[in-house]
Amino acid sequence: MSAIAEPTPIEVHPGAKKSPNSAKPTQSGTRQKISSYAMLGLLAAFYTGPLLVLIFASMKTLPEFFKDPTGLPESFALDNFTEAWGLANFPSYLVNSLIYTIVATSLFVLMSVFVAFPIARGYVKGSGALLTLYVVALFLPPALIPQFQLILNLGLFNTRTGYILLFLINPIGLIILVNYIKSIPRELDESAAMDGCGYIRFVWSILIPLIRPAIATVTVLHAIGIWNELILATVYLTNDDLYPITRGLIVFEGVYGSDWPKLAAAVLMLMLPMLVLYMFLQRYIISGLTSGAVKG
Amino acid sequence: MKKLRLRRLLAFLFAFALIAAACGSSGSDNASTDGGSSDDSADDSASSDDSASSDDSASSDDSADGGSGLEGTLRVLIHQNPPGVEFMEGFNADFEAANPGVTIDMTVVNADDIPTVNQTRLSANDIDVTTISVTGFANAVQPYMTGADSPYWQQLIEAGLLMDLSGQSYLSNYDQAAIDGSSFDGGTYALSLGRTSYSGMFVNTDLLADVGAEMPTTWDELVTACEAVKEAGLKCAVAGGQDAWPVFVGTYGLLGALYPDQQALVEGLWDGSVTWNDDQGIKLFERYDYYANEMLDAESAGLTGDSAAQRYAVGDIAFGPMGAWNAGPVADNADFAWEYIPFPGSDNAADNQTLFGKDDMSFAIAAETPVADLAHAYLAAFSEPDSYNAFANATNYLPTQPTAALESALGTSIAPILQAGNFAIGFEQLFVGPKGAGQWANAKDGSLWMYNGDFTDPTEAANQAQADLEAGLGG
Amino acid sequence: MAASPQKNLFGGGRQRLYPWLLLLPGLGFYFLIGVGPSLATAIYSFTDATGIRGLPISWVGWDNYDEFIFAGARSRDNLDALQRTLIFMVLVTTIQFAVGLVMALLVNQKLRGRLVFRTLFFVPVILGVAVQGLMWKLFLRPGGGPMHEIFGLFGLESQFLGGPNAFYWVVVVQVWANAGFTMVIFLAGMQTVPADLYEAASVDGAVGWQLFKNVTWPQLTPAVNTNFLLNIVGSLQAWMLFLVLTGYRNGTNVLGYVVYAEAFGQTAASSFRQGYAAAASIVLFLLVLALGMAANAVVGRRERKYMS
Repeated sequence: MSAIAEPTPIEVHPGAKKSPNSAKPTQSGTRQKISSYAMLGLLAAFYTGPLLVLIFASMKTLPEFFKDPTGLPESFALDNFTEAWGLANFPSYLVNSLIYTIVATSLFVLMSVFVAFPIARGYVKGSGALLTLYVVALFLPPALIPQFQLILNLGLFNTRTGYILLFLINPIGLIILVNYIKSIPRELDESAAMDGCGYIRFVWSILIPLIRPAIATVTVLHAIGIWNELILATVYLTNDDLYPITRGLIVFEGVYGSDWPKLAAAVLMLMLPMLVLYMFLQRYIISGLTSGAVKG
Repeated sequence: MKKLRLRRLLAFLFAFALIAAACGSSGSDNASTDGGSSDDSADDSASSDDSASSDDSASSDDSADGGSGLEGTLRVLIHQNPPGVEFMEGFNADFEAANPGVTIDMTVVNADDIPTVNQTRLSANDIDVTTISVTGFANAVQPYMTGADSPYWQQLIEAGLLMDLSGQSYLSNYDQAAIDGSSFDGGTYALSLGRTSYSGMFVNTDLLADVGAEMPTTWDELVTACEAVKEAGLKCAVAGGQDAWPVFVGTYGLLGALYPDQQALVEGLWDGSVTWNDDQGIKLFERYDYYANEMLDAESAGLTGDSAAQRYAVGDIAFGPMGAWNAGPVADNADFAWEYIPFPGSDNAADNQTLFGKDDMSFAIAAETPVADLAHAYLAAFSEPDSYNAFANATNYLPTQPTAALESALGTSIAPILQAGNFAIGFEQLFVGPKGAGQWANAKDGSLWMYNGDFTDPTEAANQAQADLEAGLGG
Repeated sequence: MAASPQKNLFGGGRQRLYPWLLLLPGLGFYFLIGVGPSLATAIYSFTDATGIRGLPISWVGWDNYDEFIFAGARSRDNLDALQRTLIFMVLVTTIQFAVGLVMALLVNQKLRGRLVFRTLFFVPVILGVAVQGLMWKLFLRPGGGPMHEIFGLFGLESQFLGGPNAFYWVVVVQVWANAGFTMVIFLAGMQTVPADLYEAASVDGAVGWQLFKNVTWPQLTPAVNTNFLLNIVGSLQAWMLFLVLTGYRNGTNVLGYVVYAEAFGQTAASSFRQGYAAAASIVLFLLVLALGMAANAVVGRRERKYMS
């Protein structure tokens, strides 16, 4: 367990100049560049291929698709998009996914900071045991079955609250926070306490800004997990109005699975907002993971 | 120091687990006692277990106070099939119009999820009228099937979660086979809304005539016709091979033709008097192999069930071994003459007369529904002969009401078969595997194994099927 | 382990209770939804629970385990699924690790357009398993999909997700979907390597591979460890792609999927067998635990070697 529980966090050398990009000497520069681009191109093809095929398919009529499933569409018809839009409850799926992701992630992160800080500092008794518990929990069996009974008995089956409840835990996230907080010098606590700063004030206005990178990491990790979840949505949500994107799309596939052009249009329409959102947030996502994850 | 802390932690966890277990089991004990007497359980379940649907039951309480007129919200579950959903949406609108104060809250789920959703929603008392099954109740565990696991619908009935519909007047609109097919242990727990046949095959009679082939009535004639078609540069058959379903469904007819008494086959497999690798079994697998690798055109690999039907309708393919539910797309798109015939899998033409199939969609009422009167009224309205006839014709289900008749091309094609009483529940619905049997024990999918290349030698596949079956029977 | 108990520095009186009070919500949910149900799984595994309200639950001792591991051909199928789970883990962990590392090395160079590539490789991570799965179903459509055409160029043919090799195609999609994540963590590690280390090494005449081996790789240790563990734990529990891409069928099932299918009536027998499924998930747990411990031991040794 030691690696997760207590990795030796590398000190980011305070003197190091802002991240040099794998500062390799450039004697054999051009040859290396060419081969790098070749590999990048290959990988890029692997990554864009499925996307392009999806775009092409979405613009074809069904007979056109049967005749030529891979090639360029004959015309840029958007009929599939309007038709697919009318066939399912896509705006509601999107809104649901956003609600689940945002609410559960913010609740989780907020609660976790207050769990991680006293554990990292040993301000509560048994903090060592608690940390061990979180580490062991990484490997605990999927709790699907008793969890289902629990939600049922709480009367939260097929409700937004119940679904969000399922995402208020994430041991990896907590461990990342604990480790990061440990790298914040304890002297800070002492001097703040000397100045008469209260516990809540300290956590809220001093600690949280300091551990922003770790918070960003955990937020990203956790949000991606919720955004991706399909099984829990299948088990706990039975009402179309409550489906997140993942579930809604799979249900849509169940009905229109053989009409690839429409299905492709639906997939693209649900991808688009995610991509836009990602474009806006990518700076935070990448830098969040960059600054926090390697310490976890 | 560290060790000590860990031990304390474990003790703590263990205590927690005990509490969780104790609470869990006591909760279910309560449920089981009131589940047993299903008639008076509705009120106490509303108070104890059910808070998820509290707003719904609140509105239904009003209706109870109100007395005669129907009021409240009825939660209905159906499975995804476009014509069926469309019909139900229209039906619900009519029902709401005829009963002001009633709201129908209908959920549509994929057919695959029917067991899961029934389990969860019935356990949560979150449904009133549910599509309990799309395969009927034929696979109940028989007395000779020692140790077999009950199918989910049987578990749900045994848990007291489904209402016994015996004695409801709308039941009498359905034929006896439909009622028997939805009965279990003396009660009738569902309304069978239609049957479907999966064992038949569309035949392009124009194309056969063009290549000078006869309508096949036996296996050898089928092979001859197939070769003639291929020689003429046309395709023998397509089926949906993309998703591992339903490419093998056509061969349920092959299985049926070789074992006309499917019930006896199931019992024979259990008592060892029939084996998958006896002469008949090997013959079955050899024909599976021919079907998968000779009859089916390579194009099948890229087709789903629906698109295979559309592809078949283009007209250059002789046979379409598919379910009767594909008749819609075929009829809409085909400009050639076709028939839907039982798969001629046997050498004996007399054994190739029967269509095998299943009870398809069936409605059940949750035992603890707070709106039982409304649920009954809903099923009664649905069962009105006119309404039902419209449903059957919309969905192409073979009707379970004697007064209804399919007007479609499919209906005309198979009317003689049905009139002769040549419809039987297929092996798929009857077979329950013994505990411990392996994944190859159920040879109904044999043509898929040959198609996927899981096996290349039919005899080897037959031996594996029998070995997997015996592993369950012997242990 | 963690820091030894410390005196709470923040005031006396009521303030002394704050750490505990504020810790409780998070911890409480953790026990309620996480640890509690996980432990209850162990107890369920000794019962014939179905998950259906109204059916009595009885204690069946080791029967579920016995059936899972020893009963007839069924156990062979289960052990196959177990083996497949392990193969999936090994393949995904190593391939994703390698691909992610290569990606990170490539986009960490001063190349034009590296930000575009970086974004592109990370995009699948945010798409979610449903979109990922559907994209690849279309891409791998037998009889006309692009991959079919590519195979055709080499005179090959495959049924992809419908054929006997479906399992390996799921591995491909899993790596495609998550390598970007691995890449970003490696990138993060690379940015913490101080430049003077490279300068010092190049003065000593180190180039290319030697630089990587002597400077980058040792300095990447925390990132390597993080990726290693995340990949192992993640791939052992990831089976949603199987649900989307292949469905429950012979020859592709992994253990996580078996648990779900048995618990929620998705097997051919369509029974709800949550007790049995719980036993299966305990077996999975023991497997994950053993591998996690082993991986951790390896990682820990590495860490001591490089970081001391």
